[in-house]
Amino acid sequence: MVLRLASGRIAVGILGVIALLAVLGPIIAPHDPLEGGTDILASPSAAHWLGTDYLGRDVLSRLLDGSRVSVLGAVQVALIALVVGVVPGILSVYLGRPFEWVTLRLADTLIALPFLVFAVAVTALLGNGIPQAMFVVGIMVSPLFYRVARAATLSVARSPYVEAAILAGASVGWVVRKHVWVKVLPPIAVALANTTGVGFVVVSSLTFLGIGVQPPAPTWGGVLAADLGYLSFQPWAPLAPTALIMATVWACNLLADAIRDVTGEAGRALLNTRTVHAAKEAR
Amino acid sequence: MSPEPVLAVTDLHVHYRRVHALRGADLTVAPGETVGVIGETGSGKSTLARAIVGLVRPSAGRITIAGQEVAGLRGGGWRALRRRGVVQYVFQDPLRSLDPDLTVEESLLEPLLIQGRPRRAAAERVRELLERVRLDEDLLGRLPGELSGGQRQRVTIARALATEPRLVILDEPVSALDAANRVRALEFFQELRDAGTALVFISHDLGSVAGVADRIAVLFQGEIVEEGPTREVVNAPRHAYTRLLIGSAPTLRSARVARAEREELRELLRTNGGPA
Amino acid sequence: MTLLSLRDVRIHDGVGDRDVVHGISFELAPGAAVGIVGESGSGKTLTCRAVLGILPEHFTVAGGTVSLEGRDLAGLSANEWTALRGSTVAAVFQDPASYLNPSLKVGNQIAEVVRVKTGLGRRAAKDRALELLDSVRLPARVYGLYPHELSGGMLQRVLIATAIAADPRVLIADEATTALDVTVQAEILDLLADLRDRTGLALVVVSHDLAVVAQLCDEVLVLRAGETVEQGPVEQILYEPRHEYTRLLIAEHARYGLDRVLELEHVA
Repeated sequence: MVLRLASGRIAVGILGVIALLAVLGPIIAPHDPLEGGTDILASPSAAHWLGTDYLGRDVLSRLLDGSRVSVLGAVQVALIALVVGVVPGILSVYLGRPFEWVTLRLADTLIALPFLVFAVAVTALLGNGIPQAMFVVGIMVSPLFYRVARAATLSVARSPYVEAAILAGASVGWVVRKHVWVKVLPPIAVALANTTGVGFVVVSSLTFLGIGVQPPAPTWGGVLAADLGYLSFQPWAPLAPTALIMATVWACNLLADAIRDVTGEAGRALLNTRTVHAAKEAR
Repeated sequence: MSPEPVLAVTDLHVHYRRVHALRGADLTVAPGETVGVIGETGSGKSTLARAIVGLVRPSAGRITIAGQEVAGLRGGGWRALRRRGVVQYVFQDPLRSLDPDLTVEESLLEPLLIQGRPRRAAAERVRELLERVRLDEDLLGRLPGELSGGQRQRVTIARALATEPRLVILDEPVSALDAANRVRALEFFQELRDAGTALVFISHDLGSVAGVADRIAVLFQGEIVEEGPTREVVNAPRHAYTRLLIGSAPTLRSARVARAEREELRELLRTNGGPA
Repeated sequence: MTLLSLRDVRIHDGVGDRDVVHGISFELAPGAAVGIVGESGSGKTLTCRAVLGILPEHFTVAGGTVSLEGRDLAGLSANEWTALRGSTVAAVFQDPASYLNPSLKVGNQIAEVVRVKTGLGRRAAKDRALELLDSVRLPARVYGLYPHELSGGMLQRVLIATAIAADPRVLIADEATTALDVTVQAEILDLLADLRDRTGLALVVVSHDLAVVAQLCDEVLVLRAGETVEQGPVEQILYEPRHEYTRLLIAEHARYGLDRVLELEHVA
């Protein structure tokens, strides 16, 4: 459905390329991303398309190799936020007041919690590693999903058509599946695409701070951090990782917009009229 | 009257926190009978309707639907009862009572699938229903937003009839319609009654109910102040509020009922503090 | 003498580039009442707005004349319109709450209109506002209440009080009772009839319900899609309707309304 919009096609195209990088990146990397050389901070050349870093490692290889960790990390963040946020968000409307109260207070608490302190505390408790870092980030953004899902659910829960379904004998599960889910999905998809974008940035900045991925292992954020340290020698170097991160975030946002346009009521009407027009022209 | 009523409400009370919305309502509906419930803002008419179908929990009293006591039912019991499809409900606003993301067909299938009917049989039944409310089959693939107001109302009525209910509660079913569609809807309700379905027709407007209802109950400040055959209630109202209601309803023939008499009735209701 | 006169008034929609009201004419004498009946989209509200000089953007009076007290209203300046509204012609509409400021006491809002329209001082304006409340049968304590503390019927009375603050000669009631309960609607209609009897206020009553209009008016116009399909004295419209649309409006009451079961001799 998203593919019927130009913006949707562009977004899916870019994300497809990124996904491909995540799968094939480590395989097609021309050099060992961890092996240094004597030729440090070299400019781009035939051997090193994007030059080398301060330890003489091939930047292109490091970016390609790091794409899997970066992409998986961002997706993981989004999924954790989805599960930790959306499910309680929908259920908070149906499971009664105590559950509603507790989850609302938890969401408020998470919003109030300072991000870095929480991140450091979790890494201290669970060890420093990618899954822990992603877990921290996922939890931290989950209140957004909780709120979005809850608001969308609330807006349909008391509507006459849901009452009509209940009066026909529908269970909570049926109502959520048949009526609520469809209404919650578009705003969640938008939030999800946005969060995936934010996820990239946050994973990158955490790596930058040394939380999450341990130094020799490359990530986009890590490469960027290293490049920034040698800005005076290689002012152009941060461009490559920045461009990758930006393109991905942009594609995510574009996808979010496309999803919103397509799934909303207005969007459906828009697509329908287009189909009708197309059909008329075909005749 | 008939042996067992489809609906019997006895001394029903509903509280919303401190507000005593319904103060001991009694109502019986015999099979195939149409009962009009008239009430204005704050009279408790919606509360009564919603309590009958279990959307509002009564604080005291009994409700019997087709012989089964329902006032004390919990979630599971209500679901089982509703799946039998004995009682159905038609909401006031046809646009908001249809899911904007479901096609006409999906909306009509819903109560049948919830009942657990096989899809093919359900789809066949949907076509019968469309014919019954005189809608074209072409509309099956449409979304509610692509229908006219009158078509939407017919879809919601068709949905209510899907399970062949013995009792249909109509909550202000014609208020949102224009003149032509209102007449068509009222004609249809008469047909429905003639076919043996019991109707509870709830409205603020005595005018729209009087032509269809066999009996009328008048709700005022949470109490049924008058109840009887339509002709009797309309032509020989006993309670001051009913008299005011009839004297206030815009009608063609009695367009110039004495203003002074209405003023007297208002004064009477004010000084008596309502029902007395 | 006619107070308000519309002669073949046409209203043009500049965006859709088409006429939406195709020639409406009626005359209103002092103390008389004209009713306009029609569904939404029939042009009844646009006609009222043309008389008040408040047509929405892109809509213009494209033909015919509207005259008030013998004065042609075409080409009035904004200031002249403002002077006219309230003091000669006033109006009340469907949703009274949206015409009041929720954070000010209703009495002060009436008094403010009095001061602007009549130039009275603070004290005198308050006295006049209390007088107005009394004339729409609201108790004096309403003066100190906020809009949310009043029911729909009371709010509509407050707006009527505001509308008649500067003693207009014509009051336009555009679906003024549509959102109200039947008994409250009758209260408001009775109040309008009462004002007409007491002060000679001329009324233009607009409604989708023929019976509402029949209750108050001497002459009725039936509008459909911007066209007057029938026009005449109330008795003629009710008892000898010629157009099928009017017959439908009557059939609705006669076959499905109270009229079907009402035995006239028992009432009143």
